[in-house]
Amino acid sequence: MTQTEPAKTRSGPHLVLLTVYAVFVLAAGSRSLVQVATKFGEAPIAYSLSVVAAATYVAGWFAIRRAAAGSAGIAKVMLWVELAGVVVVGVLSLVVPSWFPDDSVWSKFGSGYGFVPALLPILGLLWLWKGRAAGSTEGDR
Amino acid sequence: MDALTPIGFIVAGYAAFVTIAAVVGVVLKAPRPRWLDQLAWMLEILAVVLAVGALAGWSSGRKPESLSTFLGYLGALVCLMPLALQSMRNDRSTWSAGVIAAAALATGVVAVRVMMVR
Repeated sequence: MTQTEPAKTRSGPHLVLLTVYAVFVLAAGSRSLVQVATKFGEAPIAYSLSVVAAATYVAGWFAIRRAAAGSAGIAKVMLWVELAGVVVVGVLSLVVPSWFPDDSVWSKFGSGYGFVPALLPILGLLWLWKGRAAGSTEGDR
Repeated sequence: MDALTPIGFIVAGYAAFVTIAAVVGVVLKAPRPRWLDQLAWMLEILAVVLAVGALAGWSSGRKPESLSTFLGYLGALVCLMPLALQSMRNDRSTWSAGVIAAAALATGVVAVRVMMVR
């Protein structure tokens, strides 16, 4: 065992990803909690999808931490799931607006959050791809 | 326009400045300088001033659109930067400046949201 430094202290672009994910856990989590607790009946589909988005960000945060420690499998799956969620919900919000009387986190591809929700999984996948191309997480220094 | 509006503009503008300074550090691949931490703490002080002002406005009768959203934004406004700085306490690498950039940007966005929903 040559690894003496804990993975969580390793530096790299994943630190920024983890920060943005943490912000989105907070933003999407609180938003969905408020929506579900106070006005769930107004837009049940949209608010349920907000809960799904919040859960995805929690899972994404843990998955990126694991990927930074060298185990990228779960992160790859989670990031693709997240990207698919943004695309599917984004398309549905445009094609079937009656399902979305109020916006969910991923409505219109995350336009309410400056499209960061659409950009985030793409950046995560690029980081994974770059890390693999550079030989695991060697490019993180 | 009340007394808090210029403070909101100052917080948002200063957050943008800290974000740009931190991004420049990442682009230059320099270790995170001490002065960036000082800029970030200054932003935190401004954020606390804005939060206190918004709370004062609320206690003097101003009604936010949604109280839970308003209080949630206030919590995020004052907690984001200390959490980011604490998590990067022992890391002075280039990418730790990226964390400060993300936290400063988020603080600026939340400051604008506070001004909108208060």
